[in-house]
Order: sequence, then structure tokens, then C-alpha cells
Amino acid sequence: MNQESPKMKTLSLFRAAGLALVLTGLANGPALAGDSAQAQYEDMYQQAKAAQKRAASVEGEWRDIGKFLKKAQALAKKGDYEAAFKLARKAYIQGKLGYTQALSQQKVDWPSYFK
Amino acid sequence: MLKRIITLAGTLGLCLSLATPAQAGPKEDLARFQHFYLKRFPGVPLKEFANGVYAIDKVSRENWEAIEEFPPYEPYVEEGKEMWNTPFKDGKGYKDCFPDGPAIKADYPRWDAASKRVLTLELAINECRQAHGEKPLKYKKGPIAILTAYIAWESRGKPTHVVIPDDPDARAAYERGKRFWLARRGQLNFSCATCHAQNAGKHIRADILSPALGHTTHFPVYRSKWGELGTLHRRFTGCNKQVRAKPFKPQSEQYRDLEYFLTYMSNGIPLNGPGARK
Amino acid sequence: MRTAPFPPLSGMALASAMALTAGLAAPLQATAGPSAQALEQGRKIAFTRKLGNCLACHHIAGGTAAGNIGPPLVAMKQRYPNKAKLHAQIWDATVANPETPMPPFGRHQILTERQIDLLTDYIWSL
Repeated sequence: MNQESPKMKTLSLFRAAGLALVLTGLANGPALAGDSAQAQYEDMYQQAKAAQKRAASVEGEWRDIGKFLKKAQALAKKGDYEAAFKLARKAYIQGKLGYTQALSQQKVDWPSYFK
Repeated sequence: MLKRIITLAGTLGLCLSLATPAQAGPKEDLARFQHFYLKRFPGVPLKEFANGVYAIDKVSRENWEAIEEFPPYEPYVEEGKEMWNTPFKDGKGYKDCFPDGPAIKADYPRWDAASKRVLTLELAINECRQAHGEKPLKYKKGPIAILTAYIAWESRGKPTHVVIPDDPDARAAYERGKRFWLARRGQLNFSCATCHAQNAGKHIRADILSPALGHTTHFPVYRSKWGELGTLHRRFTGCNKQVRAKPFKPQSEQYRDLEYFLTYMSNGIPLNGPGARK
Repeated sequence: MRTAPFPPLSGMALASAMALTAGLAAPLQATAGPSAQALEQGRKIAFTRKLGNCLACHHIAGGTAAGNIGPPLVAMKQRYPNKAKLHAQIWDATVANPETPMPPFGRHQILTERQIDLLTDYIWSL
């Protein structure tokens, strides 16, 4: 869905770094510098908000997206960008899934058990 | 016996109308819908579906009948009567907006050609209030449920008779409501039909899934789970949340269209609100 | 099929996810069947309302107040000689039957992949 951008490359780098940390048993150490974690979170949050809006536009929003985003914002305020990112990503995925679901249901008719 | 023959004749009539390749429209939908439940629950007459799960499960029915001996909604009906009779600040009252009132439940929901939308009883009440300088009531519970409990009580026995006029906008609203009812939604991916048609009468954990036929006749409802009265749209909200979909606002176009479709599907069943449910 | 086209987890998220998975997977042997501990984890997922909540619709030995929307979960190895098919059914039952009432636990991310693996092992043991 996205072209390979410098940001994505950075992301991949981070991923590799994260993996290395796990492999060397340093997973609990501070994985990232604060600024980039914040930037990553904020980017994900914006994407999640957009996905939520898109799902709502076809009446397909799921129940907990708003809750996840609120919690994510609260966590980000406390500086826990890792947890905030995870929640925002969850909201983003649910936004996409709700949108896809709603589109798939636009032409529903009586199911076979009614026939 | 005679009644049985009539019911049988009715069922046959429905079967026949299904067999003829008629243009699919609300009428055909209605026949299809009611036929489904009458076939699924043989021996349960159409009228009985007004009683939800209690029409199809003996044990639940006994508990419910015990509750109905001292109906939990009774005090609300009294309170609603007072509300109905209390004049607005401008000296007018509900009777001025609803000259046929209070027994007007069966007139709603209906298509309002002037405003091109489904007009529900709750919406009409609030528009009446606002026209007379009163604040609108909230739509899920409280005063609106109390007032409509009285209106429902006075309307008991009148048959559901929603009309879908030959008007493309009305028809579109009906179709939107139908699609809403049939569409899977929420993370759990259930449609209204999944639970209340395909699996009506089955147990979900210890609860029995109610048939959708007759769903609209008994509102507002006193639910033991709520410990108070609630409107039909409050119930819609709860259902949507249970399938993990974001609910729509009570009296939103979505829920009014759904009410339009769902009430139409119960055409012919007498009103029996307010009701008592688990 | 199983990986949806979503943006990759960030380094930090992936790191912790992997740490978690590694931690959970540790007691599992590659060839031997699932451990008693893993089966118990699967059972919990099946019985917990906010997780699998399988009891809402299926009778399972040892569960109370089970629903009857779906078939009782018995003799699963006979019904699903191929465990992967059972896994696929839990992941997204609408593939086999578009009108199924069963929620797509994997496709809609109601459960995590790890939870579905544990659940599949448990259900298959019934």
C-alpha cells in the first residue's frame, strides 16, 4: 500500500535493531531514542484516525477503535510510546477491517435460510 | 380448530406467494420473513410472536408469567399518563400535537413525505415538545420511555400496520433498514439475522435467542438487566455493542430506517407494550 | 493468507511481540504433542468470555451453561483428521461457509495467532 520511503527504510532498520536486541537478550533495554518513537507513534495515530474515519464513512466502525485511540493518547502523554504505538496500530487494523467488512456487505440480500 | 385452519390457510397463502415469481419488494419480503418463523416454530401462531422468547420456550414463559402478575412497568404507565396530561409552558399539551392520542403507537414508525424521512413516535414527541417551547427528551431511557410506556399501554391490541408507500424515497429508507438488518457488522461479524433468524430459539450460553418476528411490538420495555425502562433504539445500541460494532445514535437515520423495516416485518401482530424482558 | 497487508510492526512492537512469543513457545516441543500446560492455556482461551468464548455456542466437556448454536466439540480428530483444517476453521469459518454464524477469530483479530494455535491444539484434543 505504501511505496518504499525513507521512513519505511528507517522502520526496517528499527525492526532489525529490535530483532537483534531480542536475539541478544536485551529486549528490556531502551530500544529506541525517544524522538523517533514519538514520531512513529504519531504517524501511526494519524493513520489510525484516518482508518477510523474511513470505516465510519461506510457505517463499518467497530466498537473499540475510539477507546484504543483514547488510551493510546493517554499513554503517549506519559511518554510510553511503545504501548501507545501498539494500541494505535490495533485501532488502525480494526479500522481497515471494519471498512472491508462494510464494503463486503453493501449488497446483502436474504440469506439461503430464508429461501 | 377454526383458528388453526385460518392459520394454516394463511401459511399456505404465504407459501404460494413465495412460489410465484413476483417482483421482490416489501410485500414479498414480509411474506418470506413471516413464513420463515412460522415454519421454524410450528404451532406458534403469528400473534404469539409478540411475546418473544416466551412464545417459544416453556420454562422462560413460566418465569415471565410470574413477573407479569405484578408488572414492573406498571408504575411507569401511571407516571406516563401524568406526563401526557401535564400542559406545556405555553398551555398546550400532547393532545394538541396528537389529536388521536394517547393510543397512537400503531401510527409509527411511518414515512413522512414532507420531511422525506422515517418518523418515529419518539421523534414526533420531541418535535411536538420543541414546537411548544419545551426541551427535547433524551432518546434511550427516562421520561421518553415513561411517556411512550403510557402511549404503548393505551395502544395495546392494535395491530402493527406499517405502510411502505409507493414513493422511491420511502422505499429507499426501507431498503436501507433491510440491509442494516442483514449486514454483518462488528468484530464478531454477526448480522441481526445471524442471531435472530438463523439461530433464533437456540441457546447462546444460557440465553435463548429471540425471534426477530415480533421484536418491535412490546417497546418500550422493562428489562430486568437494566432495572428500568428503555426504548427500542436503546436496545439496538446494546445489540450493536454486543457484536462489537460502534452503535449509532438513537434516532439516527440508520436506526429509524431499521425500525421501519423491522416493524413492517411484524405487520399484523398486535401491539403489547410496554413489555417485561430479562 | 494469514498476514494481512498492514504496515509492519515497528521495531519496538515486534521486539516485544517476539519476546512474548518466544517466552510462550518455550515449553512446546517441536515433534511431541502439546504439553499439558499448553492445553490448559488453550482451554482457558476456549472458556473465557472475552477470549474464545467457545462455550457461547459449543458444548465442551467440563464447560457449564454451553450454547447449542454450533455442534458439540467432541471427537475432533475424527472430524478434522487434518489439524490445519481445524485451524483454518477457527481462523475464518466464512471461507468454508459464507453464512456461518461463527466469528472469524483470526481474520478479525479477535484472538492473536498464538492464541489460535493454543486453542486449535486444545480443541483438537477433545
